[in-house]
Amino acid sequence: MKLGFFVGCNTAFNRPDLERATRYAFPALGVELDDLEGQSCCPVWGTMPSVDLVGWCAVAARNWAIAEEKGLDIVTVCGSCYGSLAETRYKMLTHPDIKAQVNEILKEIGKEYKGTSKVRLAFNYLYYEVGPDRIREVIKHKLEGLTVAIQPGCHSLWPSKVYVDKEEDPFHPKVLKEMCEVLGATVPYYSRLLDCCGMGAMRSTNRERSFSLFQKKLVSIKEEVDPDLIVTGCSSCLIQFDTAQEFLRKDREINFEIPALHYMQVLALCLGADPEQVTGLARTNVGQVVKKILEG
Amino acid sequence: MSSAQAASLVINLTDSEPGFADEIKELGGEELLECIQCAKCAAACPMVLAGFSFFNKRIIQAILLGLREVLLDDSSIWACQSCNRCTEVCPREVNPFEIIQAMRRVAVREFALPTMSIEGLKSLYDTGHAVYLAGAGNTRAKVGLPEKPPSTVAYPEALKELQAIMRKTALADLGIIPMNGFGVADTCEV
Repeated sequence: MKLGFFVGCNTAFNRPDLERATRYAFPALGVELDDLEGQSCCPVWGTMPSVDLVGWCAVAARNWAIAEEKGLDIVTVCGSCYGSLAETRYKMLTHPDIKAQVNEILKEIGKEYKGTSKVRLAFNYLYYEVGPDRIREVIKHKLEGLTVAIQPGCHSLWPSKVYVDKEEDPFHPKVLKEMCEVLGATVPYYSRLLDCCGMGAMRSTNRERSFSLFQKKLVSIKEEVDPDLIVTGCSSCLIQFDTAQEFLRKDREINFEIPALHYMQVLALCLGADPEQVTGLARTNVGQVVKKILEG
Repeated sequence: MSSAQAASLVINLTDSEPGFADEIKELGGEELLECIQCAKCAAACPMVLAGFSFFNKRIIQAILLGLREVLLDDSSIWACQSCNRCTEVCPREVNPFEIIQAMRRVAVREFALPTMSIEGLKSLYDTGHAVYLAGAGNTRAKVGLPEKPPSTVAYPEALKELQAIMRKTALADLGIIPMNGFGVADTCEV
């Protein structure tokens, strides 16, 4: 098995420990990662998508063409990359006029968008293609006795029509929950499980409102689950959970901290990765929970 | 509520701009007229929960009433998370997300876009990444990765391809960011 790893922006520059974790975990499970040399930003919502529909698809199509030329599907650990790439694929395949206009632009650089590759989100790909049984066999450490609150992330679920991997019911997601249970964790439900974390355009536009949204979610997690760890399926959610708690504590809105990691970081730890390399850039104090995982 | 406060909430329909709905449809909001204002999208929207004055349903309503200036004067459209809960639940397949994007496209054509979007576009054009940290090489090395990711920042010819594409899009006609010569690769966190 081989996939093109779409690393994106936040993972490459803000959380390279997550990139390292991804590059560790996939090969450890028998999946080779290709670099998709020359890839760019997906492009993310506030840039080309907000300017022009065809321009959005054209920038994405260059990324798609890199994967198509290698005959590879794309994998990402970022919800925005996943969403933007899946949306553009859907638009180009359902609107031949958009695809034709995009290919007219791509002629400029001698490339063509065909629509032969797909994009998968890391934890979905592992669930559907590698499988819980294989993961259970290979892991060296477990989250035995640990309670986890999950944050699947908006773009892992909606709009389901643009994604290859669909939950049975996108408002009752179970894949990330099962993937954490495979690692030995207890994963209770909490009432704001589906809420948005507030990262992204909302945080850039109005930080106060973004943090108030995040606070509602975080308090629901604390009061209902009181977990050892929050596990996200998306790199943007990771950044919000990892950085916004500090702001809320400084504002005396909360008096606690819950460590947060991306699923691929937790998986990499379970597979035996060096904790400093795969979690070393966390702002929340993950030391204690990482120690427990390595003992488990 | 005082009468002055109440007056500020009055929508003056004489400000309505005919043809605004058509503009939104042309810029990607094709299904605009399918909306029956049922508010299912609003019930699912994080912007409602966070307290923004305009969100999917109200943005569509304002567009249908032709209230271009009202929407341009408010930053709400730029806070949309693109989460697509609305697209998922809409019983009429209106795709409210795409209508909000179309409204942003209207705003961009009036140069009414936030600095973060201009910075993001500049960074995308200059480096290939909307989010770019000039000093990330050290942190990358610290976790055992090459200083540059295998993207446009490591492959200058790929960046030139991306720039050639961007120069062929509507962005070039709009003149929002400088597109000739070489930009300076500064940090950009949007």
